[in-house]
Amino acid sequence: MPGKPANDKPTYDEANRLMELSAILFYAFTVLTVGSAAYMVFSKNIVHAAFALIFSLSGVAALYVLLYADFVAATQILVYVGGILILILFGIMLTTLDFTENLKTVTVNMLPASLLSGAVAVLLLYVFFAAEWTTIVPADRDGTMYDLGMMLMNEYLLPFQIAGVLLLVAIIGALLMSTRHKNEP
Amino acid sequence: MEILNDMLLYLPAIIITVAGLIVMMVDAYTKNATMIYTVSVASLILALAASVYGLFGPTVDIFYGMATTGGTAAFGTALVVAATLFVVVLSREYLTSINHNFAEVYTLILFGTVGMIVLATANDLVTVFMGLETMSIALYVLAGIVRDEKTGIEAALKYFLLGSFATGFFLYGIALLYGATGTTRLADIGLYADAGLIYWAGVGLLLVGFFFKVSVVPFHMWTPDVYEGAPTTITAYMATAAKTAAFVSLILILERALPLAVEQWSGVLVVIAILTMILGNIVAMVQNNVKRMLAYSSIAHAGYVLVGLAAGTAAGYSAVLYYLLAYTLMNIGAFGVVAYYERHKGMQFNSVDQYAGMGYKQPFMAVLLGIFLFSLAGIPPFAGFIGKYQVFAAAIQADLIGLAIVGVLASVAGVYYYLRVLVFLYMKEGTEEIELTQAGFPYRSVLLLLALLTIYFGVLPGGLSELLAGFHQGTLYSGTPLP
Repeated sequence: MPGKPANDKPTYDEANRLMELSAILFYAFTVLTVGSAAYMVFSKNIVHAAFALIFSLSGVAALYVLLYADFVAATQILVYVGGILILILFGIMLTTLDFTENLKTVTVNMLPASLLSGAVAVLLLYVFFAAEWTTIVPADRDGTMYDLGMMLMNEYLLPFQIAGVLLLVAIIGALLMSTRHKNEP
Repeated sequence: MEILNDMLLYLPAIIITVAGLIVMMVDAYTKNATMIYTVSVASLILALAASVYGLFGPTVDIFYGMATTGGTAAFGTALVVAATLFVVVLSREYLTSINHNFAEVYTLILFGTVGMIVLATANDLVTVFMGLETMSIALYVLAGIVRDEKTGIEAALKYFLLGSFATGFFLYGIALLYGATGTTRLADIGLYADAGLIYWAGVGLLLVGFFFKVSVVPFHMWTPDVYEGAPTTITAYMATAAKTAAFVSLILILERALPLAVEQWSGVLVVIAILTMILGNIVAMVQNNVKRMLAYSSIAHAGYVLVGLAAGTAAGYSAVLYYLLAYTLMNIGAFGVVAYYERHKGMQFNSVDQYAGMGYKQPFMAVLLGIFLFSLAGIPPFAGFIGKYQVFAAAIQADLIGLAIVGVLASVAGVYYYLRVLVFLYMKEGTEEIELTQAGFPYRSVLLLLALLTIYFGVLPGGLSELLAGFHQGTLYSGTPLP
């Protein structure tokens, strides 16, 4: 790796301590992510929910950093936190005030929904504890962007191009649904 | 130059993508509706020729193993493109008559078809996902283009919300499978017979996502409302092309990624197939709205397809492909005639009582509807019969005798509601005064062609059956050129 003196390599103890530190950070950010996601789901106020979503998605970005996926983390903040959520907030705030205030969510079908999600949660928890996880310490490296670019233009060329079509379809669809056609009755 | 070669093998999707972009540009600059329609139809004919040519090409992996050509994938591509071609021709006249002939519809149909081709040729779970989503988003919008009807908005919203929910399941399934096997490539996942509980959870969630897209019980709740609310020719598109693409992709996944788990998923498919056939047929019987009846009938037909898949054999897979062809032909035809009746009185004109006495007013259309309904009911000598026969025969060969018996009984029950429409058409006196105008020439010719194909594949299934059987006999990467 360029720009890294050889004597800078962490010793075994240091490496261990780093691992512990990143474990602490991991759990902290997990609590942030899951906690604000839960707050978002249970909140009855749509503005509060949108703000909670910001924290949740930022937490996910931090988890990406811990996985050495710095580019994905930056994109996550840029696209989700910076773009989509600000748009949602604008949408909420620009609509008339009493409309937003009256826009409260209600919960229906409490029993079947909680039974079903409880069952799925039990299944996933069981999978989590029963599976034999192999833990890999991600290699410390720079230039994930280079790798990413190479992969997008080689192995993942087809999905990458189709993603372009997908976004185009989404834009056309949003336009068609939101504007009134001139020859529409 | 490998990329160029891959692109050549992927020509149908590329032609249609380019056509979609051209249609967008034409719409932006000239708004020439005739040109938009011509470009769409011409590109679909070209793509159809390319994909039929691909049927006889080699089975190879392209784009670094992200997609596959030849065999099942090529057949799926050809079927999807053909269905889209028919739907586009029918849509122009129908949408004009209900004042919703927007240029965006053609762009969305073309891009949606690209998504379907990607889905039907996918050889990697990432590609499966991209294709599925491109297709779905185009369909969500298409379902809701008639916004001045309450049912149209309901259809779009319901489809969108439930579809996004199913996508979540699907994506989580992919993630768990990746966690269990460390790869998203179908053939590499296929090397694992059992990778612990996480593997099974992944397979389960993946199948749930697919079950939703092909609308089988108990994941069918959205289907009747969406099929009823969407414009009728678009409903035909959703019920045929989209289902074909999803089923072809399911065949590729079952055959390549889960060949060693066949016992387990076969058991699941048997249960789902029985539920789907029974519920689809029984609920279809009590429907008075013809479009809703066809929606439940399409649920029942998805059940018959699952019978062939549950067999998990080469015969089962090729039977399913044949069934998808028959189903596409007769279903587009039936929806086409329903759309023709509908346009005289607006989108609510679908009740079976309103069909009373119409059989003698435009005899040509009524006879065509009769052919399609007889074929849907599985009565010889139409394609629907051969499809059902092959599917049930495959199930019996695979020792799923109980499943085949339930299937036959369910399809006998199905005869009732198909023939009921014909009884109203011919044997009841109409109460309403209605003048039926002649449909345009392209409209009539497409329906006639569909009827002739329905009869042709019902009388002479031989050549195609042999071709389809050839797809599944060799090993996966044999690469043998087909006849």
